[in-house]
Amino acid sequence: MNDGPRDRYAVAIIGGGIVGLFTALHLARAGAGPIAVFERGFLSSGASGRNGGGVRQQWETAATVKLASEAVAAWRRFPGEFGYNPYFRQGGYLFLAESDDEVAQLDRVAAVVRSCGLPILRLPAERVAEYAPGIGLRSLKGGSFLGSDGTLYPFPAIWGVYEELRRLGVEVFLRTPVVGISRGEGGLLQLRLERSTISAPKVVNAAGGWSGEVSRLAGLDVPNVASRHEILATEPMKRFLDPMIIRLSDGLYLSQTMRGELVGGLTVPHPTGTVAGMPSSLAFLRRMGRAVVELFPSLRGLNVLRAWAGYYDDTPDGMPVIGEDPRLPGFYHANGFGGHGFMLSPATTRRVAQAVLGERTDLDPALFSPGRFLGAVRPGSVERLQPG
Amino acid sequence: MGGPTPLSFRFRGREYPIVGERGLAASLTGSHPPILGRSIRYHRPRAPFCGTGFCSQCLVRVNGVPNTRSCTYRPAAGDRVVSENGVPSVEYDLLGLLDALFPRGLDTLHGFRRPAFLRGFYQRVIRGLAGYGRPPTPGASAPVAPASLLDSDVLVIGAGPAGRAASTRLAAAGRSVRLVDRGPLTAPPTGVASHPRTTVTFLPPPSPDRPFPFEGSAVDERGAARLLRSREVVVSTGAYDGGLLFPGNDRPGVLTAEGAIQLASGRGDAPFERALLVGGEDRAAELIDRFGTHIAAAVSLSTFGPAVARRASELEIPLYPRSLILEARGRRRVRSALVRPRGGGPPLSLPVDAILLAHRRLPNVQLFFQPGAEMEWSGEVGAYLPRLSPGGGTSVPGLFAAGEAAGFAAGAESEASGVAAAEALLASASSAAPALRPPTVGTPSPLEGYYTELLGAASGRGKWILCACEDVLLSEIDEANALGYRGLEEVKRYTGVGTGVCQGRFCLPDAILLLSALERRPPAEVGYIRQRPPVLPTPLGAWAELPEAPP
Ligand SMILES: Cc1cc2nc3c(=O)[nH]c(=O)nc-3n(C[C@H](O)[C@H](O)[C@H](O)COP(=O)(O)OP(=O)(O)OC[C@H]3O[C@@H](n4cnc5c(N)ncnc54)[C@H](O)[C@@H]3O)c2cc1C
Repeated sequence: MNDGPRDRYAVAIIGGGIVGLFTALHLARAGAGPIAVFERGFLSSGASGRNGGGVRQQWETAATVKLASEAVAAWRRFPGEFGYNPYFRQGGYLFLAESDDEVAQLDRVAAVVRSCGLPILRLPAERVAEYAPGIGLRSLKGGSFLGSDGTLYPFPAIWGVYEELRRLGVEVFLRTPVVGISRGEGGLLQLRLERSTISAPKVVNAAGGWSGEVSRLAGLDVPNVASRHEILATEPMKRFLDPMIIRLSDGLYLSQTMRGELVGGLTVPHPTGTVAGMPSSLAFLRRMGRAVVELFPSLRGLNVLRAWAGYYDDTPDGMPVIGEDPRLPGFYHANGFGGHGFMLSPATTRRVAQAVLGERTDLDPALFSPGRFLGAVRPGSVERLQPG
Repeated sequence: MGGPTPLSFRFRGREYPIVGERGLAASLTGSHPPILGRSIRYHRPRAPFCGTGFCSQCLVRVNGVPNTRSCTYRPAAGDRVVSENGVPSVEYDLLGLLDALFPRGLDTLHGFRRPAFLRGFYQRVIRGLAGYGRPPTPGASAPVAPASLLDSDVLVIGAGPAGRAASTRLAAAGRSVRLVDRGPLTAPPTGVASHPRTTVTFLPPPSPDRPFPFEGSAVDERGAARLLRSREVVVSTGAYDGGLLFPGNDRPGVLTAEGAIQLASGRGDAPFERALLVGGEDRAAELIDRFGTHIAAAVSLSTFGPAVARRASELEIPLYPRSLILEARGRRRVRSALVRPRGGGPPLSLPVDAILLAHRRLPNVQLFFQPGAEMEWSGEVGAYLPRLSPGGGTSVPGLFAAGEAAGFAAGAESEASGVAAAEALLASASSAAPALRPPTVGTPSPLEGYYTELLGAASGRGKWILCACEDVLLSEIDEANALGYRGLEEVKRYTGVGTGVCQGRFCLPDAILLLSALERRPPAEVGYIRQRPPVLPTPLGAWAELPEAPP
């Protein structure tokens, strides 16, 4: 196992969530030199160990659809490649619309997804139940369904990448927060740890909900905000529901895991920013209970087993931030992934690694670059399809 | 198929009479605890174990609703009860072969990957095996009794000696008090509003800017929701009987003390012929009083206290002090127990059909850490306890602790701690309240040395099941450790230990001690037990109907 960190690395990554780990993997495979990952908590302590496991390709922006379908292919390969099985199950995603506006949104999404070559179905209200037997929503106006979307179990994905990193000699330091970032000699960036300081020419901010905090450690003002999102799981039961269900009106998402639990959440407004303990709330449990019972009246007797919460890392336009910060050469962003950073991670982190290696990426700067918030490039379109 | 008689319920095609307050599991128990289910991963037989509604071992389907805890559920006339997850039946289950075929475990982390074209098939099979039962039947569990909003000055949770003493003192001082308890709460203190058979499920941190800073949810035994608002809260939720690790510890016939008492409720004799009693102190003595000569022998992991020694000599029960329990043998239920003196010596096989665990009490602490109270490891209790100021205040303003839940001894000491908590509350927290020593911290748990020795002795042919909800094997903890996963949080997620329906009540206290031994660091450094809300699995319908507080 690791002793203490060395003085110097080629790349230092802040945050040991799925984004930090996958980024390290791509860099190590490209032979980027000594790489360190610094993680404040235990492995999987951030959003990567707290999410709903949804993987979808239904988006409003074609750029995101393309990343997502590349990620779907990567998740299909994962068990063969990493020796761990995240049980990626392609049961589809079923979106539910209850108003004319929402129907129009699904139409827009369907057009984009179809233009990317994916066989999305737009469903009239009366056909929705074919995809989710037992659904009893009176206000339904329509839906959309894409069968190659699905769900996975996040933990085996984390273990698989983590163990591969260690085989490749990447040093992952757990329980090791980065507490300061400054510019050192010779163009190096210095990371202050609790007991030592290390330096590296390239640093990646993959701190998820804490990425704003980390950018500010480096003196950079960024628009990322952390928002607390709650989620619950029921007691496990035998197969009941195949697709992930998303309701646009309240952001409800609900799926059944391989273990048989129903896992889902919806958006309850909380003040932004991080707080100790990431608490659950009665308001969430009440609204979630109402939403699930409204959708599936037969489930009212099903027990909620546990509820927990985690942070999204939100940006003003709903798109991630990938690339070098023009104000601090050597400082790279890999953050702003909102509620969908896990599913996209195999694809997004490949671009992060390319950027760190100084290669060109296929990402539109107007959509992804840190510069879009600084007036450096004209911002592009906005991704509004945020739930689940 | 005759119709049900007015005062009976139906189980596996037979009518059973409803007798007084007797629970479902007790009603189904003849001369042995009944096999009511099968575990998910290895299809091992499952029979009532804990008697408190916490564990996953007595789940049945009642009127189309799965996962009903038969130990605490009281049958109603006309109920239709079935057991689930047995193929063709839970008693003779073909999938039980899984248990025999995979002595060292079914590898769900690495397995089922190849060949890739079979993955869809694997997924269907796994989803069929998942869960204890089928989803609720449409139309089952119709809306229950109306929900209600209940306000009071003080909410007292748990009506044991501590909670009763606190309620009485607070009511005498003119406070409006609500006392809730999961049990029948007979003869409530005068002047106190009492709510029997009601479980507080979630008590979030208080908001000091509201007239009622505390707002918690509760559910009664029929699933009706309650919103409880109060200015202060006394948590006196008591303790439960913990489990013990040995091969076969999940066999039908292994019962906690409370499990045995519940199964025997309403009958004069015992739900077994000859039991091995584990434990040397008051809880064990209580079981000798209850079951008399049905106790064939008693073992203690350490010594025997005077209460057990005296009763044992009266009844001529052989005592085995300082012993290791090596294994419970038997296929579908316990037939014998293998024990051995600690420090070495020949193993002894005792022909028994039950093993009663009365060796440790673990505090019910969820309602301390849910609202954010600081906790500290108590080696003596082998659990986390709230950090207390003299008198019983926790680190959360307005939240007080009393009784076994806070680490005080059962009985008189608990009662005194209830009075002290009430005094501290009346004196508005921090001021000089009668000083009651908070529980000791820092001493090693008696079980630490026991487990080190037991694992060193490692014999036993059966499976070492650390977590019976998820069938997690002890060897999986070793594997995680060998791969470099450290601490409870990582090992829990890696192995699944503690993620089942008991929320880790019966495995995490042991997991902490085992990891402490493996990682060679003190238990408190290994990790914190953080059960997530709710306290008990609670129906979606009860959350849907939870009243909203008026603004
Ligand atoms: C309730 C919920 C449901 C979700 N559902 C989905 C879903 O269905 N599908 C999906 O794709 N995504 C989902 N997401 C989002 C997804 O989980 C995240 O986008 C993704 O995990 C982000 O990964 P990450 O590695 O960037 O962040 P994280 O996993 O949060 O990792 C960041 C890490 O940085 C560490 N860190 C922070 N500060 C420091 C520091 N100063 N020094 C060192 N380390 C530091 C943190 O401890 C943390 O472990 C959900 C999120 C939540 C909260």
